[in-house]
Amino acid sequence: MSRIRLWEMALLVAALLLPAALGQAQERGVTPTEIVIGSTIPLSGPAAYWGLGVGGGIDAYLKWINDQGGINGRKFRTVLLDDSYLPARSAVNARELVERHGVFAIVGMIGTANAFASRDFILESRVLWITPTTNDIWAGLRPDRKKYLFVTYPSYLNEGRILTQYAAEKLNTKKIAVFYQNDEYGLGLFRGVKYGAAAAKGVQLVGSASYELTDTDVSAQAVKLRSSGADTVFLAATPSQGALIVREMAKLGWRPQLLATFTLGDPIMFRLAGEAWNDVYAGAYFLLPGMGDARIEETLATLVRINPQLRTTPYNALAGVSFVEPLVEALRRAGPNVTKDRVVEAMESLRNWDGAVARQITFGPNRHQGLTRIYVVKASGGQYVKMTDWISYQPQF
Amino acid sequence: MHTDLRQRYEEDLALVRGFWGWFALAALVVALALLPFRAPGYIVFTVSLVAINAIIAVGLNLLTGYTGQISLGHAGFVAIGAYTAGILSGRLGLSWWVAWPAAGLVAALFGFLVGLPALRLTGPYLTIATLGFGIAVHQVLTNWERLSGGRMGLPVPRAMFGPASLTGEQRLYILAVGGAALLIWVAYNLTRSHVGRAFVALRDSDIAAEVMGINLTRYKTLAFAVSAFYAGVAGALFGQALRHLEPQLFTFFESIYYFAMIVIGGLASIPGAVIGAVIVTILPQQLSLLREWVPIIFGTAIILLMALEPRGLYGRWQRIRLYFTTWPL
Amino acid sequence: MVDLAQYIVGGLTTGTLYGLVALGIVLLYRSSRVLNFAHGDIATLAAFLGFSLVLRLQGPALIPLAVEATWWQFLPGMAVSVAVTAALAAAFYFLVLRPVKEATLLGRIVVTLGLALALNGLVSMIWGADTKIFPFPISDVRVYRLGGVVISHVGLALTAAGVTLMVLLYLLVQRTRVGLAMRAVAQDLVAAQALGIPSRRIFALTWGLAGALGAAAGILAAPVTLLNPAMMLDPFLKGFAAAVLGGMDSLPGAVLGGWLLGLVESLFAGYISFAFKTSLAFLIIIFMLMVRPEGLLGREYRRRV
Repeated sequence: MSRIRLWEMALLVAALLLPAALGQAQERGVTPTEIVIGSTIPLSGPAAYWGLGVGGGIDAYLKWINDQGGINGRKFRTVLLDDSYLPARSAVNARELVERHGVFAIVGMIGTANAFASRDFILESRVLWITPTTNDIWAGLRPDRKKYLFVTYPSYLNEGRILTQYAAEKLNTKKIAVFYQNDEYGLGLFRGVKYGAAAAKGVQLVGSASYELTDTDVSAQAVKLRSSGADTVFLAATPSQGALIVREMAKLGWRPQLLATFTLGDPIMFRLAGEAWNDVYAGAYFLLPGMGDARIEETLATLVRINPQLRTTPYNALAGVSFVEPLVEALRRAGPNVTKDRVVEAMESLRNWDGAVARQITFGPNRHQGLTRIYVVKASGGQYVKMTDWISYQPQF
Repeated sequence: MHTDLRQRYEEDLALVRGFWGWFALAALVVALALLPFRAPGYIVFTVSLVAINAIIAVGLNLLTGYTGQISLGHAGFVAIGAYTAGILSGRLGLSWWVAWPAAGLVAALFGFLVGLPALRLTGPYLTIATLGFGIAVHQVLTNWERLSGGRMGLPVPRAMFGPASLTGEQRLYILAVGGAALLIWVAYNLTRSHVGRAFVALRDSDIAAEVMGINLTRYKTLAFAVSAFYAGVAGALFGQALRHLEPQLFTFFESIYYFAMIVIGGLASIPGAVIGAVIVTILPQQLSLLREWVPIIFGTAIILLMALEPRGLYGRWQRIRLYFTTWPL
Repeated sequence: MVDLAQYIVGGLTTGTLYGLVALGIVLLYRSSRVLNFAHGDIATLAAFLGFSLVLRLQGPALIPLAVEATWWQFLPGMAVSVAVTAALAAAFYFLVLRPVKEATLLGRIVVTLGLALALNGLVSMIWGADTKIFPFPISDVRVYRLGGVVISHVGLALTAAGVTLMVLLYLLVQRTRVGLAMRAVAQDLVAAQALGIPSRRIFALTWGLAGALGAAAGILAAPVTLLNPAMMLDPFLKGFAAAVLGGMDSLPGAVLGGWLLGLVESLFAGYISFAFKTSLAFLIIIFMLMVRPEGLLGREYRRRV
């Protein structure tokens, strides 16, 4: 029978907590020479692909700004903490970022559960929170609590709707089915497709098939979708399973018109899905490399120069830049006397502002969703081609 | 050395022994009581998470370490507790003090139900059954949106009590550490009672135990129910910590981590379970800045710990103590 | 009707993969009672190793995006990867598991857990977290048609390879002296040692063989599931379930369990629900185990009190 020595337990617990306790809390984020920006993102684990890309992009971009002299005499210091896509870790990381590293702003965050787990703390500590990559994080919040939250991330609901309506008008879609990831992301897009189908004349939603993030076999889903008789399939998926379902459909010899969400606007899809990816129509919220936009090309080249690993995730790196750019511009506008409220004012002063990646960002005192438009691209010959102009939708908060 | 001599049965059973025992206990209590008011918020929060995991670990240890039933689906019980408390206090507006114990009881009920097939299954077959249970809970919570909010999640209202000057982290700490202390004390007493002895008998040889008159059905299901109760209580606290519940929080991986906690700390030992919880919760967090290296270091640490001391950290500690106690033999 | 046949074909193909994974798990469990949680990650490591080797054999001049490799590029890559992985697994046994004297069973299981974590992190770190394509000599999208039912070349090849491996394993275990020694050690370690069977060598061999099976499963799965660090998570879980279904000490049971599980899953997903397919599969397994606690083909469990 084990004997109990409580002091032993106490000693051990204290020993393990000691390193954490020694970290000193700092001044909150702004010194005469630097501004501290933090993020908690998945740098390991199942979502590492996005975390490394987005986080890497943010980090490299801020380094580039530093190389050019910083903003109003201050340079950026980035603190990226890994949460391995675990919401409990995100919650702890958020607190560490604010209390131990004293960040001025938290940029990005990947995962709905992760964002929600940290939401109350971040909003209460009144740290600037820029673009957690999730929809509905603003749901149910009183207006005064949204003051420091700014989002430039597309709305799944609207994207689903817009793409469906586009297909109805331009691609002669009559029967549409949805292949979706069984989480907030996929379900949001699914709902959007439902709205779009209802709004467009003569379009019927005839079937759906879901999958879990860890699924590696989607052959049954392909059969189910085919048996629904759809002429168009909307892919509300992430690159792995998006490629898998397209290949399964190719095996079945079934080639419906394919629509895809912006996550599949990643050039990695050409590699993963091969020829089957041609003629896919996808959404996009910033201009893609290869479309002839000089600023995009220059930005990507710079990012890769600073961090060569980003060559494998150009899409996510550019996305990361699009998230942090408005903040940098707001800091520029706020001038040398940087306080939270001045930066909030500066953010809200952005009207149809163009950054290198983020374009036409508009904020206002009652409008903290800065990006409310997407456009449609078509996969063609290994490249994405711009098919429409920007299509706008109403800001949601 | 002389403090190890016991002259009466009561002394052997006693929880706290001698002057130094009481002193240490008092010191621990004082330290834990002061922590939330002295340490920065993120440390208070981390300690609360550790306490929550410690509750789960102690409960799981009762089932796996003492009764020998391997459960790889424990996250399912945690989820049931979390969602029960969340739904009762959120959607139905009941007080936290009703929702919290209810969470434990509902989880215990499911524990009992899972314990029933356990009567027929042993070894890896039981493991699969518990694994299946964990997965089933996860899938039900994901897809039964009316009940759980599905993938959109379930917001959890804050449990309010005490003076308004307390921060959220401090309230959570009080609940978590207080609850952990209470439940650990209960676990100690349980293992020292006839129930604990029955559990151990079941683990060592259930047929012999039954021959001696220990009711297999009663004690096996009791073990499941009690450990599920602990998990449910902890789950409710977890909901308070994150304020937002999603099925993704309670997957197979979480079950594996709980399992690792008790083995690393030391099976069939309550201090071991606590130590395991501390390590598995804090180590990856402290390594956060190392990014891609985290799973490699953590995994290697586990390998080394288990390879060098299969009895877990507490086992190693006991051996060290034994060495000094019996020195110079 | 065509759909039904299609679901069946899909289920059997996936079931072969499950069966391969299950074989590796059962092999280890039979001899050492250890549940190897690292099995999936060993398979993943092998798949990535094979990937790099094939890429190297394809030559630096080619864009590393070529999806098709020739047999001359693929087979050596696969062979080397399997061999290396088997050696690593055997080394793991020698360096980690064996030296520990009083290892408890659960302790050993948690060691494999640590290995799984470390391998997963290693793979992510070395090869990156993005999804890749495994170059394979057989095109993924060409198919045979039988009536209305479609069977892909790749699927067929993988199933054939899987079955071949199973048969080879059967021959090894049942018809060779080494296999006899393995069975002896699995049945009663002390008696086998008393008879002079070099048990440590046999254990190392068993681990190596299990590693090789895992490697084969990973490499055969990769062309279909695409290559990423998490690719074997789901197959591992299903393989484990299949092993239990078939009986944890029965190799043919593992294969049968794999096919049954794949079939049940596919039919459920198609006709009832995608969202619940995994839990329903487990539910069926649990009910099955209630009826026959030692699995389909397992021997009845007799214990000494």
